[in-house]
Amino acid sequence: MIRIDRLTKRFGDRTAVDGLTFTVEPGRVTGFLGPNGAGKSTTMRMVLGLDKPNSGSVTINGRDYVGMTRPMREVGALLNAHAVHDRRTARNHLLCLAQTNGIPGRRVDEVLELVGLESVAHKRAGSFSLGMGQRLGIAAALLGDPQVLLFDEPVNGLDPEGIKWIRELMRGLAGENRTLLVSSHLMSEMAQTADHLVIIGKGKLIADIGIGEFLRQGSNVLVRADDQDRLVPRLVEAGGSIQQGTDGSFIVTGLDTRQIGKIALDVGVVLTELTPQRSLEQAYMGLTRDSVEFQAGAA
Amino acid sequence: MSAAIADTMRSEWTKFRSIPSNLPILLATVTVMVGASALTTSRASENHQAVGAAFDPTYISMYGGFLFAQISVGALGVLVVTSEYATGMIRTSLTVVPRRGRLLAAKVWTFGLIALVTGEVAAFCSFLLGQIMIGAGGASPATLDQPGVLRAVVGMGLVWVLVGLIGVALGCLLRNTMAATTMVTAVNFIIPIIGPRLMPAAVGEWVTTYWPISAGLQVITTAHHPERLAPWTGFGLMTACTAALLMAAFAVFRLRDV
Repeated sequence: MIRIDRLTKRFGDRTAVDGLTFTVEPGRVTGFLGPNGAGKSTTMRMVLGLDKPNSGSVTINGRDYVGMTRPMREVGALLNAHAVHDRRTARNHLLCLAQTNGIPGRRVDEVLELVGLESVAHKRAGSFSLGMGQRLGIAAALLGDPQVLLFDEPVNGLDPEGIKWIRELMRGLAGENRTLLVSSHLMSEMAQTADHLVIIGKGKLIADIGIGEFLRQGSNVLVRADDQDRLVPRLVEAGGSIQQGTDGSFIVTGLDTRQIGKIALDVGVVLTELTPQRSLEQAYMGLTRDSVEFQAGAA
Repeated sequence: MSAAIADTMRSEWTKFRSIPSNLPILLATVTVMVGASALTTSRASENHQAVGAAFDPTYISMYGGFLFAQISVGALGVLVVTSEYATGMIRTSLTVVPRRGRLLAAKVWTFGLIALVTGEVAAFCSFLLGQIMIGAGGASPATLDQPGVLRAVVGMGLVWVLVGLIGVALGCLLRNTMAATTMVTAVNFIIPIIGPRLMPAAVGEWVTTYWPISAGLQVITTAHHPERLAPWTGFGLMTACTAALLMAAFAVFRLRDV
């Protein structure tokens, strides 16, 4: 289990992660979603002690990662598949990682076989394609047979066969009651792999929700209103459930646009937006739209 | 030494030997030291009579080669750290060894031992070959049982270690291969060797006496100059300066985000 508590990280005057709190439970794949620049990688780096938080804390199974003597046996991480010396062979790369944690050389051969790289074990990592590099990174994460796994954008650069492989691998690992936190900026990817979603935007938590519940939000409506405080309690009374976005927008589940419009009229609140969300992808885009750091201008 | 640091050192040795160029460069460095020493020794022994009592066959047989070899020893030390930053490997290394002090300590110990072994081999080979050439040139060669000679030859290997560790420390502080190798070359070669010829006499004299590597190299002399530091005093000064650089490197390495 990973527990993230009021985690904050600033780079100069930019707040990359802003008071983030959530828990990653074992036995399921937790998808960590957000647009590029939302703070996913920074959060994962803080979990591993690579970046130091300005405030807040992270514990893994109740302990601080940096304090672990043999962290690979407890936590495996794929952060950036390119974080390898390109002139070292795949096997030597894994061997020097394994040795730091007292993991025997035969385990290196096992994980090479597990990820399907045994035939290129003695090839330089620099000659690998993006997909092979990704597999090498996953092999490194699995070396210590850890209970907790962090994968940052694991499907990047994988071909369809590779994507299918990693999905099955993650499902299998979760099935063994391991804790998995998997980041992605693609909702469609997570919809097929994750059991639970943690969605962030501009470093803040937007949603911490089971995939089932998220999928049921087929009839979601994105609402923006002048006076939320008066409108929201009435929507809840009428049977709607509310999920807050970052910028004053919110998503209503359980009521349709006509019902919401009527309630707004009753309480005299001006609606500035009332958009039915047709798909999962749209619901995600709606929630994060205003927290997208880099956006293409309108054509 | 705890099991964890021993494991990390084993890993650092794997890292070092699995970069294809490292071991050949190390071998080439020893060869350059011995070869260049032989050349400079034969030149020096031609005019040993002009030098008279100041002729130091031990020093002469190692110093010339060391000037060349130390550049690549320092650069290899730099690369132990900067190659990890250049390739991004440092993030992976610190994920598997989150105790930063342990990772850097393992690098320092491992490269220190590599430099010690190769440095002693280079020092003894240069000395022995040099004495044959000095004898052939008609001067009287030194032997290891003469006063100060064994200390000087062993000391040569120890200076290799310090040069290598200055490289590791500067590599860690600067994180960039080009910047750190330039700095190592400036600190150990340009300032002490070329500098005194260009500087005002008083400054040049001070550099020749107190600059860390100039002081440290007193340990390889057997004919002592009264205006310079004593062999172990000089070596102690260089060791202290290297230790200070390493302490700065540890402090910065612990505090920085990767």
